[in-house]
Amino acid sequence: MIGFIVTLVLFPLIGLSLGRRSLGEAFLLGLGITGSVLFIAGVVHVPLVIAMGLIAVWGVGRGVWELKNAFPVAKPHSPLPTILMIIPLLALTFTAAITPLNDFDGRAFWALKAKGIAHERSIDGPFFHGGTHDPRNQYPILIPLDGAVILSLAHNLDDRNLRWLYLGILAALALLVRERIGRLVSPAAGAWCAAILIWIPQFAVEPEGGALSAYNDIAITAFAAGAFFELLDTEKKEFRFGLWLAFLVLTKSEGLPLALVFLAIGAFVFRKRILTPAIITFVATAALLVWRSRIPAGDEEDLFRLLPTIPEKLHRLGIAAAAFPSHMLLMPRWGIFWIAVIVAAVLAARIERRAWIAIAVIASILATYTAVYVTTAWIPSELIAVTADRLLMHVIAPSLFLMALAARTRKTLSS
Amino acid sequence: MSGRWLTRIAAVLLFVSLAASTLPRLVAIVNNARTLLPLPYEARRERQMGSWYASVEKFRAELPKKEQVALIAPPRDLDAAVFASYYLYPIRTRLFAGRNAYRNAAPDPTRPNVIVAVNASHAERTEYDILRDRDLRAGHRVVANLQLSEPTTAFILPIAASQDGPSPDTFLIEATLANPNAAPAEVRATFWPKGVVRTVTIPAHGTAAYYDFVYQLFGIMSSGWMHVESSQPLRGAFYFVNRGRADATLLPNASEATAIAPGALYRDTKLFIINPKDTRATAILNGESIPLDPHAFISKPIESLPVVSGDVYAFVTTRELNGRTNFLWPQ
Repeated sequence: MIGFIVTLVLFPLIGLSLGRRSLGEAFLLGLGITGSVLFIAGVVHVPLVIAMGLIAVWGVGRGVWELKNAFPVAKPHSPLPTILMIIPLLALTFTAAITPLNDFDGRAFWALKAKGIAHERSIDGPFFHGGTHDPRNQYPILIPLDGAVILSLAHNLDDRNLRWLYLGILAALALLVRERIGRLVSPAAGAWCAAILIWIPQFAVEPEGGALSAYNDIAITAFAAGAFFELLDTEKKEFRFGLWLAFLVLTKSEGLPLALVFLAIGAFVFRKRILTPAIITFVATAALLVWRSRIPAGDEEDLFRLLPTIPEKLHRLGIAAAAFPSHMLLMPRWGIFWIAVIVAAVLAARIERRAWIAIAVIASILATYTAVYVTTAWIPSELIAVTADRLLMHVIAPSLFLMALAARTRKTLSS
Repeated sequence: MSGRWLTRIAAVLLFVSLAASTLPRLVAIVNNARTLLPLPYEARRERQMGSWYASVEKFRAELPKKEQVALIAPPRDLDAAVFASYYLYPIRTRLFAGRNAYRNAAPDPTRPNVIVAVNASHAERTEYDILRDRDLRAGHRVVANLQLSEPTTAFILPIAASQDGPSPDTFLIEATLANPNAAPAEVRATFWPKGVVRTVTIPAHGTAAYYDFVYQLFGIMSSGWMHVESSQPLRGAFYFVNRGRADATLLPNASEATAIAPGALYRDTKLFIINPKDTRATAILNGESIPLDPHAFISKPIESLPVVSGDVYAFVTTRELNGRTNFLWPQ
């Protein structure tokens, strides 16, 4: 119960401390800020308990202050898609409350790290120095730090306290999509896109990577969605864009290339103001590298070291290039979602300039991942089989945005 | 048909394609949750993961809280060890892919002493020698064509061992005792210098075979020499075996002898001296007197063949570059 309350109250309040915003965005910003600040604090050897206390006091205080000034109540739109969105979320909430965690990566890496950090109150204690078996020792730990906050406040290392965190991220992502696409395209489009997102099997019910697992792919999808929507926002808040990129870097290994893709595309959008996000991303990356240099590596791949081997692996290009198209057509995981996205991209690109930003983001990210498949020391087909669907999740926000644009385009044409 | 309708139809098609996969699975996981609801949380985990989880929880309380624990899992079942590590935390763990990985870490002073054996179906707290015995029992004896001795009532094995070196070196004694008599034989085996005794009965016209004589009789991993006495004359064959290298040497029935036959010396060469008597003895090694307690067993590294005399039994072992152990017995 404490895990539920902490997840539902603490993170949104910390997110609100940066200013009034929607619940979904506040939750995701709260997660990102908490994890990032604790990580940087750990790197500069500020005791995590003190850092945790300061974040909680400042975040909750500021958050409550923001709430007192004006509670961000969203106007109800489109009852049908709203109900459709809520039904699976209720079912998943019921399930998360009862069924224990049972996925692979969640237990082998992410929740284990959360336990280790919560137990030792440190990000470079004995746990990260071979004290216990941690197969991917150098994986980024933003979400495990959030998990550690929950476990610490619950005074209990049991993973049942973390079940709400991962489900909460999916719900927050859906709310972010609903609010942002609602603002950028139309409220109805936002509501439908959020409903579609929640019904995608890969997000809702897939045991490895779905909302009932403790994988970090939904988190990175959510942070990538935050960064993507900042590219389109008329207010062009470069600091917030930078924050999303820092969260990406500190959440998963894929986060750094994702952040670089966003920075490259962001340079066209923000022009000179891209410097701020670049500095924030650099600070996060530097902190990550410093932390990694202090702890032994696990059995994770060092892709940068593998880069020079690309020329001798070019024969893999075919299988790597076919990876995403073949997984996009897996009906049990995606339905006809990707077919719809491709059709939507064709329609929207003809009329909407913003569609090209979404297409550029999707194409760049998938091209980057394809390059990783070429480079990897794994057997590419085996790596593709276990990762392609989860990597496709990362581009869900621009894909949904394309669908929203295409739907509006059709309406515009017909009227 | 208007664009608005086309959009709606496309949206419905998309939604149906998603719901067709999500809805049945959502119903299934909710139903599963409903069946788990009446159970306590730990029982839900047991229901999900079966007896494997129950076995982990069973020994969890017995493990030391502040000492690292070795998780030894067959390489094909490493995932099970990873999950055991997860559920045992904050008990600290170190994973070893197979028993050989554990024994090869013997020189590492930080190697955990507490062992948990894990596989996909079960986890248990155990000891190294039990795992070793399981592996040996499941394997095959090296010696297929036995050279049984003439019937006798006493055997002195100048070396008796159940010990491991770095993988694959696995030293043991393969023993066979055949009772050609019409009466059962009471056999008394004494493992020296520890002085531990075990008795076994071999039925009339029966045969007893051991894949690891020392461990099977005494339940210890150690080295020394052995005195085997029988109430009936037995035919016996005792082989010093390196199971990991399929290497076997027939052991002689020792008596006082010190004139070690010349032979090539390779690496890890050692001189062994035993005193099989119940009284003190003196060995003269290259002119130097070495007093030996009754039933003593000593070994020392050597670089050249020594001159040994005295009322003792002396022999030399040396290892060829291929790992085979050669014995230089006394004449």
